[in-house]
Amino acid sequence: MTEQIVFKGVSDMPTISISFGNMDWNKTGAWRSQRPFYEDKTPPCSAACPVGNDIVAFIQKITEGDLEGSWNVIKEENPFPGVCGRVCFHPCEAKCNRGNYDEAIAIHALERFVADLASNLNEKIEKGSGAKKGKIAIVGSGPAGLSCAYHLARLQYDVTVFESSSSAGGMLRMGIPSYRLPRDVLDQEISRIVALGVEIRTGIAFGKKLSLDGLRDYQAIFIASGAHQSRSLQIPGEKGKDVLSGLGLLRKINLAKKGKLDNRIAIIGGGNTAVDVARSIIRMGKKATILYRRSKEEMPAFEDEIAEAIEEGVKIRYLVNPIRIQQKDSLKRLECLRMELGEKDETGRRRPVLVPNSNFFIEADSVAIAAGEEIEVSFLPKGVERKEGIVLTRRDGSTGIKGIFAGGDLTSTQRTVAHAIGSGKKAALAIDCYLKGKDSEEAIREILIGDGPSLSTFRYLHPEERKMNPHVVAFEELNTDYFEPSKRQKESKGLVKKRIRGFEEVTSTLTEECAVKEAERCFSCGTCNECENCYVFCPDTSVIKTGEMFSHQVDYDFCKGCGICLSECPRGAISFKEEAR
Amino acid sequence: MKKVITGNQAVAYGVILSRVDVISAYPITPQTTIVEELSELVASGRSKTIFLKVESEHSAMAALIGASTGGVRCFTATSSHGLAYMHEMLHWASGARLPIVLVNVNRAIGPPWNIWSDQSDSLSQRDTGWIQLYCENNQEVLDTVLQAYRIAESVKLPVMVVLDAYVLSHTSEAVEIPAMEEVDQFLPPFCPEYLIDTQEPRAFSTIATPESFLEFRYKTQEAMEQVPEVARRVEGEFRSRFGRGYGAIERYGKDGAEILLMTSGTVTSTSRIVIQKLIGNEYSVAGIKIKRFRPFPFEEIREAIQGAKKLVVIDRNLSAGVGGIFAQELRASLYSREERPQVFGFISGLGGRDITPELIEEAVQYAVEHDRPEEEILWLGLKK
Repeated sequence: MTEQIVFKGVSDMPTISISFGNMDWNKTGAWRSQRPFYEDKTPPCSAACPVGNDIVAFIQKITEGDLEGSWNVIKEENPFPGVCGRVCFHPCEAKCNRGNYDEAIAIHALERFVADLASNLNEKIEKGSGAKKGKIAIVGSGPAGLSCAYHLARLQYDVTVFESSSSAGGMLRMGIPSYRLPRDVLDQEISRIVALGVEIRTGIAFGKKLSLDGLRDYQAIFIASGAHQSRSLQIPGEKGKDVLSGLGLLRKINLAKKGKLDNRIAIIGGGNTAVDVARSIIRMGKKATILYRRSKEEMPAFEDEIAEAIEEGVKIRYLVNPIRIQQKDSLKRLECLRMELGEKDETGRRRPVLVPNSNFFIEADSVAIAAGEEIEVSFLPKGVERKEGIVLTRRDGSTGIKGIFAGGDLTSTQRTVAHAIGSGKKAALAIDCYLKGKDSEEAIREILIGDGPSLSTFRYLHPEERKMNPHVVAFEELNTDYFEPSKRQKESKGLVKKRIRGFEEVTSTLTEECAVKEAERCFSCGTCNECENCYVFCPDTSVIKTGEMFSHQVDYDFCKGCGICLSECPRGAISFKEEAR
Repeated sequence: MKKVITGNQAVAYGVILSRVDVISAYPITPQTTIVEELSELVASGRSKTIFLKVESEHSAMAALIGASTGGVRCFTATSSHGLAYMHEMLHWASGARLPIVLVNVNRAIGPPWNIWSDQSDSLSQRDTGWIQLYCENNQEVLDTVLQAYRIAESVKLPVMVVLDAYVLSHTSEAVEIPAMEEVDQFLPPFCPEYLIDTQEPRAFSTIATPESFLEFRYKTQEAMEQVPEVARRVEGEFRSRFGRGYGAIERYGKDGAEILLMTSGTVTSTSRIVIQKLIGNEYSVAGIKIKRFRPFPFEEIREAIQGAKKLVVIDRNLSAGVGGIFAQELRASLYSREERPQVFGFISGLGGRDITPELIEEAVQYAVEHDRPEEEILWLGLKK
């Protein structure tokens, strides 16, 4: 019935006020002053992901049991999920809203789970067909270079990657020990990129014999040669025999897994390289002591890595500053000064201050210096500007020379795998814009995740789909009444006893059961996951389900704009705007 | 079968015999033993009734409104502050035309804090659209509960059965308990006109705009106006089956008496003795017991008072600023008549103070000695 029943009077009225038809005739939507609408907003995890992963989407697919779909979401943005799931420092988890509730989602573990599953199923990335659009050269096959190659290849470019080393992977292969990143995982992800038609030419080092001028045939060049020079300590004796560079030592161990090492090795530095060196030494059956000039709180290495290193027997001496390396018979004698913590410096960490006359000696068979890395610039053409140890680029990754872009460790002090992958992606999209004559700055603005800096390739390729308000959903915007506290699923770790006997991977991949359980913990901040609270709570039955996924609509004929849908939405996926009348 | 039981037990018997489907109640002195008795019966499995425990009287009535809309027979009991707390829902029950039966054990409303009998609780609810029936003894209590369901379900209005605190609620008397089969024949199962039915979904108690609200209230009044006739018929049936009847009012004493003593509740029993004594002393007096307060028995009263010169009304209640509520209603019922006896409105027995034979006699004596009352309100037994 769509008409109002009008009674004549007492004689034809029922005893009580009761419905005889429906209220379809009463278009209560006219009462509305605020209009609710479904609008996906940016989850804090994605906004924090330097790679630009669509984290909520791939986790959502896991909860639906669509693991292939999950893989498809991930590979849209990231050619290295198996790598990232293992070695990324996961800033996404630090920003996860669930962390304010109980424990953050183990996003890295879920990414790794999906990546490993895809590996086991030997999932391939479909190679686009059609004519190649242009030739691009990439210098460096690390995460930045290969990420750029991957995205360009998917955009139908003819890509050649030049690698100075004998095998591809850059820091992933040289710098990261295989107990953190098994080589078959790396190899498989690189092979998928190669399968897209990317050519990787190894053993070609620019600078000595070959200059970048030789790449004139290419329409654009992306330089991501990394930072491979160990930083000097500027102390007497550091050039002596048996004083190694941390990175050099790692490269040796990573490529060969053998070699003669002295028994007691002192490692100077507090970053991830120092910890990787120390843990690798332990695995070679030797003793490792890290000397760090600040305290544990200031140590730049990842917390988990430090904890695992200590478990494995790495000794760490804090507030120790070597000032001289002496040779005494076959031993190294490190003259050190004690430090104490003073005022905070510009990084917010407390500055170490020398304690006068506190000199003491530490003995070791050899010394490895891992006090940071510097970039190699000798081969860079003039016109590529540098400042404070990095190559300067614009927001789109372009350098001072037209057609030359740069990224990765070369251009940033945030030297993580994820930042490198993100910068490669950005350069790929910027190169595409450059070659099409589009304004890359504007294109980048359109596809920023939240306020950036990370980008969405999906939105670059499909500008009309999955639009998202850049507003990042805060914890306070969630309705946590609908969430039950639950424990974060932990990846299991090998026993220390077993771990230190070799380079077997320390942590293992989540089981499917645990992965699904973990995925279900996701609040899905800002993204409708069809929990149907709006549908259940709408007092005017004005939430319409069309049967398709994520297709809830508001029936504006009847929605009074009460806002209950908005306040009962656990994840902030509904917005309000003033009704224009 | 005759049993010696309290008024509250008589209520419980009435409820069980009426095959009530849902009880929802919250305890309050002096009603508590009613629901205590009933909840024990339910808990022991001897009764299949659903007993809903709730956190307040408001919720108790709200729950019954839901249950009754679902088409089942419902019961609750309360007193004093509990009834006051239910107030909003009382309106809702009558407006939704739900035949719920409520037993109220008359108790004063504080402060000062008081748990004894007076009628201010039930009379405060006189405008809620409920039928109100006041009882004189425990037998009448049981019988009235049974009749209440017949009347309620017939006119689609809720009924409040009222008994005095302690004097009835906690005092034992011999009560004839009718047999279940007999009651079953007197009181058929409840068949509502509309009920919640998933096969035929409806919205209940929907909004009525100014276009129709007046008409709905008219219908409530219409139903109230059917009550005298329905109640007469129901009582006729009850009398022929069980041999007892009470009427909307009861007149006793001397025919053609000049002075009529009008009471309700247990004061009537005391009045019967006083009237008998005064007739023995050659007084021209008779008594009228008012059982039904809503709808007010205008016709019955107008007929019963013909020829009387003075009406002595004892109100165990006070509408402060006006006086006794029964007296007010009586005055209102006389206004349109040519013949209007003087109304002597006495207030007495508030907060459970005994209304003794001496006090009642004093009231009648006052009427004998005065042509008209000297005050609007005559205070009986006031300690000056």
